[in-house]
Amino acid sequence: MATMMVDDTIPDFDYYGGLTTPTTTTTTTTTTTTSSSDDDHDHGCTWNDWSPVVDWDAFSGGDNFQDLIESMIEGNNSSGGLNMNIPKSTTFYNSEDSVLMEESEESNNNQSEDVNGLKLVHLLMAAAEALTGVNKSRELARVILVRLKELASPNGSTNMERLAAHFTDALQALLDGAASGSLPKSMFSPNYKDEQQQGDVLAAFQLLQDISPFIKFGHFTANQAILEAVAHDRRVHIVDYDIMEGIQWASLMQALVSRKDGPPTPHLRITALSRSGSGRRSFGTVQETGRRLTAFAASSGQPFSFHHCRLDTDETFKPSALKLVRGEAIIINCMLHLPHFTYRASDSIASFLSGSKTLNPRLVTLVEEEVRPVGEEEGFVGRFMDTLHHYSALYDSLEAGFPLQSRARALVERVFLGPRITGSLARIYRTWGEDERCSWGEWLSAVGYRESNISFANHCQAKLLLGLFNDGYRVEEIGTNKLVLGWKSRRLLSASIWTTPDSDL
Amino acid sequence: MFHAKKPSTMNSHDRPMCVQGDSGLVLTTDPKPRLRWTVELHERFVDAVTQLGGPDKATPKTIMRVMGVKGLTLYHLKSHLQKFRLGKQPHKEFNDHSVKDGDRATSLELQRNLASSSGMIGRNMNEMQMEVQRRLHEQLEVQRHLQLRIEAQGKYMQTILEKACQTLGGEENMALPARTFKGMGNQGGGIIPDISAAFKEFGTPPLSFSSFQDLNICGGQEQQLELHPQSSMGERSSSFESFLVGNNNNNTDHNLSLGKKRSSPYSNGGNANGKSPLMWSDDFRLQELGGPTTDLISRPNQDDIIQMAPLSMERSCNPELDSVSDIYESKPMLDEKKFDAKLERPSPRRAPQLSSLSAQGGRNSVFG
Repeated sequence: MATMMVDDTIPDFDYYGGLTTPTTTTTTTTTTTTSSSDDDHDHGCTWNDWSPVVDWDAFSGGDNFQDLIESMIEGNNSSGGLNMNIPKSTTFYNSEDSVLMEESEESNNNQSEDVNGLKLVHLLMAAAEALTGVNKSRELARVILVRLKELASPNGSTNMERLAAHFTDALQALLDGAASGSLPKSMFSPNYKDEQQQGDVLAAFQLLQDISPFIKFGHFTANQAILEAVAHDRRVHIVDYDIMEGIQWASLMQALVSRKDGPPTPHLRITALSRSGSGRRSFGTVQETGRRLTAFAASSGQPFSFHHCRLDTDETFKPSALKLVRGEAIIINCMLHLPHFTYRASDSIASFLSGSKTLNPRLVTLVEEEVRPVGEEEGFVGRFMDTLHHYSALYDSLEAGFPLQSRARALVERVFLGPRITGSLARIYRTWGEDERCSWGEWLSAVGYRESNISFANHCQAKLLLGLFNDGYRVEEIGTNKLVLGWKSRRLLSASIWTTPDSDL
Repeated sequence: MFHAKKPSTMNSHDRPMCVQGDSGLVLTTDPKPRLRWTVELHERFVDAVTQLGGPDKATPKTIMRVMGVKGLTLYHLKSHLQKFRLGKQPHKEFNDHSVKDGDRATSLELQRNLASSSGMIGRNMNEMQMEVQRRLHEQLEVQRHLQLRIEAQGKYMQTILEKACQTLGGEENMALPARTFKGMGNQGGGIIPDISAAFKEFGTPPLSFSSFQDLNICGGQEQQLELHPQSSMGERSSSFESFLVGNNNNNTDHNLSLGKKRSSPYSNGGNANGKSPLMWSDDFRLQELGGPTTDLISRPNQDDIIQMAPLSMERSCNPELDSVSDIYESKPMLDEKKFDAKLERPSPRRAPQLSSLSAQGGRNSVFG
């Protein structure tokens, strides 16, 4: 059986800086499977202010990773020097009384929770390594995943537990896929077909909007930029890459109808792209969205028309298929990674963004998730861990605002974030050997767009919006054209605006 | 920017005493009377300048003519105009300075920023205040717009949910108010408890509509952007009313029409008084009474979270399940008890927003 060597130093986790090795370590010669990025990363908060670094030596008594795993798998073999009483996780918290129990035992449990969390992280890392590392071993990965499933449940009471459960499921799917030779399509985009699921999705969507600012941040930042760009126009045409339920345009319409300067309410046209493949259908088809928007526009007094552009199965974007009107200001709107969105294929996005250039748009608005660029040498595990950090920050942000509403959060996590995690890992798994993908913002630059300026009002709006939620959210202005929403020190979502080189925006 | 002539008798610590002359100008009482640029005077100045086409086009002579204020000399205007022109410059610098992550700029910070940006050191307070006021106005505008936009999203969300109710609905094909979520009631298994439990957890629905009162919406009040509860419902209530009623008749029946006109779901369970499930109806009633809805929670930090525009999912239609009043019902007492208990335990992991929490301790949710 393959033996894996791991650095005995315990990595410190911080949201943005990736893995770093702390200074107090035991010295043993090992090869590191995950390289530590000890360059100039800003070591923001360490994960949840975790308590003392685990002394692996006490566990393993040597550099043998195998022993380590076995000892973890045996579970209650907690050695001296470490205060880890780990009962079976499922009975640890009575789910009904989880809130009360948390309160009363919190001071006691904090420590063991933290340690539990740490254990889960290490198991996950080990599983990822086993799946894809230099010394791959599917058998070992399988065993680790079994243990993880025992320890972590999607209804667990701690963020880490639920997060670990989703990641475990995702890894399991990867494992199965690897065994069978290909990953199932459902991994990449979930499909909510039956009514029950659709009900879930709507409920979760409502909750998501209420408990977190991500969706509003993306929409409002884009809309404000659009408003400023079309201040003097009479006709506006928005080409929307992924309109979903269309809620972004409600607030734009409101703003257009009530604008004071410039010509009266401009005529708004929206062309929505639709794909023939599967996708989230719970918000209805693009046509339904169109009907909804038309009705809403009518009730707001917004002159409006809706168009629908079906993409071929290969999803190449053909600008000539669009109906254009002379004198209209064209806006390209590209929302990519809002929490309730499905991942779209890279080729599709690329085709859209490149093709859009021929339309000579007034403005391009782009919202995408902000990921830390991961070096090639970090491989799958590096990206895996980065994804873990990303979603950990996301979960924490939800919890911080609504710590007692664990069921609501669990619903949002189950409906949206879980499938996102699966999709994310699937994509990483498929592409980690290849060249690292650049961000879509960089792509826009490469295609020939130039950055446009985020206004004071826009930035101000973002700050005010976040103020409605929680102090832990922060908005940063990066360059002149991008606002990034982050949780504590982890950047999560970015909204940027672009224009053609000859425009005066 | 300094005066060409410095009053020799004044040292920097003296605060000049001011008298108001016949012409309405405020002059200092020291031996060399200097003009006090009050806010009103300055506003007239700005008006005149704008009329003349901006600070670059206007000249002291023309300004004097346009303002028509007795006692105002060319000398006064010359120096003030110069300061004004320079005052418009550090626009950009101010912009950069004021950008801080996650900060809400208070007027104090704005002033500090202004003072520190180059070229502003010598300015007198008046102009700094001017700049600050301008920024505050802008921020108030942004706040107002933000609130309207969030409301619009909420209205749109309503339409989605209405549609969903109709399509997901099962055998019982009743005309449902937008706020019920019928489909859920008929599905089996663990989903209903899941979702209704999820919504039950919210004492008051998150992101309350009333939070916008906190946002100092009634412009013209140059308060700091710290959230103050205020009653300024006038503007918003009309938009909501018209929305709720569906068409723009001024139905001032604040018991939400949706609650009253449609029947059955609301007479379920305990809440038979026809009260709308949505907490805003209370809100509107309070407006009617003219009372400021002051007991508002400014931050959705803990359980007393702020309610947002139309919150629709608060109940399932399944008559067997909890009635409207349970889900999204505010249980402020209970919640605050837990809440206070939480406050007493410093939890290093949680990093609670203690400052705002303690402020919230005393407040009740207005909703229930």
